[in-house]
Amino acid sequence: MTSFRDYQDRRQRDVTEMRMEVLPLGAREFQGDRAGLITRLAAGVIDVVAIFLVVLGVAVVGWMLSFIVSPLNPLATTADGMRRLPPVLVLVLIGYALAWLYFMICWATSGRTIGNLVMGLRVINFKGSRLRWPTAALRSVFVVVFPVGLAWVVVSGANRSVQDLVLRTNVTYDWVVGVPTLARILGRNRDAQQK
Amino acid sequence: MRENGPMSQPESAPRPEVVLVTRPTADQPAPTSPAHVLRAVISHSIGLATFTITTAASITQQAVSAAASSGTHVAQRGMSVVVDPILDAVVPRVADAVLDRLDLTQIVLDHVDVDAIVAKADIEAVIDRVPIVPIADYVIDEIDLPQIIRQSTGGVATDAINSVRVQTFGADQWVSRLTDAIVRRRQRNVHAPGDRESHEEMTHESPEEQMT
Repeated sequence: MTSFRDYQDRRQRDVTEMRMEVLPLGAREFQGDRAGLITRLAAGVIDVVAIFLVVLGVAVVGWMLSFIVSPLNPLATTADGMRRLPPVLVLVLIGYALAWLYFMICWATSGRTIGNLVMGLRVINFKGSRLRWPTAALRSVFVVVFPVGLAWVVVSGANRSVQDLVLRTNVTYDWVVGVPTLARILGRNRDAQQK
Repeated sequence: MRENGPMSQPESAPRPEVVLVTRPTADQPAPTSPAHVLRAVISHSIGLATFTITTAASITQQAVSAAASSGTHVAQRGMSVVVDPILDAVVPRVADAVLDRLDLTQIVLDHVDVDAIVAKADIEAVIDRVPIVPIADYVIDEIDLPQIIRQSTGGVATDAINSVRVQTFGADQWVSRLTDAIVRRRQRNVHAPGDRESHEEMTHESPEEQMT
């Protein structure tokens, strides 16, 4: 146990940062309920944007690496007449594959994608626990192939998408309070550097 | 060395002489008369009596003082056996009676500088002996600190991310209500199974935790 004297000494040396994070009172009531359309749509948009950026990054890196292989010739093709960028269709397929992997891994491990984490959502099965890998893989395929199924949330009387109905899954409000933001991460690193 | 040493003293120097003059004792007549005898007897008797009395007095004095020094403890023990029970019985009652008639607290307040005494006391040592953590736990339990924080931050989104979540939740509700009104649905069944894992407890970031 820290004695009072030690505590005071430490208090004088560095100011303890006290930050208390709790769920807002209004948000406590609906935690655990199935989420509505707009929140899930927003989470999906965040995920899709993230995947799009990754695919774009892959394309740009590949394009730059192609100049190491054959530095001459115009920007779009190599000396052999090969395209420096793959066709858009290939990129789209890469994107789909990435999305499938990404959703599956996220749902099976934490139940949350990045979009879900930001919007405070969690995907669970009919028993209320985390999805198993087969279910996660199936749901991921379903979502990637048939994203419009999300619209059924509005029509359904239980906030279920088509995927949820078929695979008996639930997407619930389950806020993580204190999601690490960039400013907070930078601030923490600055603190660490001062010490 | 002087030339005229003792050996060279002239023979003519006068020698000191010691002359012993003896005086023959005066002729005294022997005390033969009865008056003289009587006087001598009386004189010696008085002298003997005086010596005897003085000696006896001296012996008595020494004996008394020796007896006194060895006999004090015995005397005291005897005294205490008698006196102690009396004192034991009397003193507490007397003290009680005196204290009953005195407002001791008021006397201390009037005559003692309590602040000065407290100022001299080592408060930190006292605090170090106090079980602070159990007391703090007790206080937190008693005042329900999490509830107070919830109430003070209630409704107000503390974080930018929370405010976005609250707004989208509001939009969810709005869309649901709109469609429910169109389809004439009374209520949505949004209850999902399982426990939520939301972090509801407080997180306290101390420097130690940040360093780890």
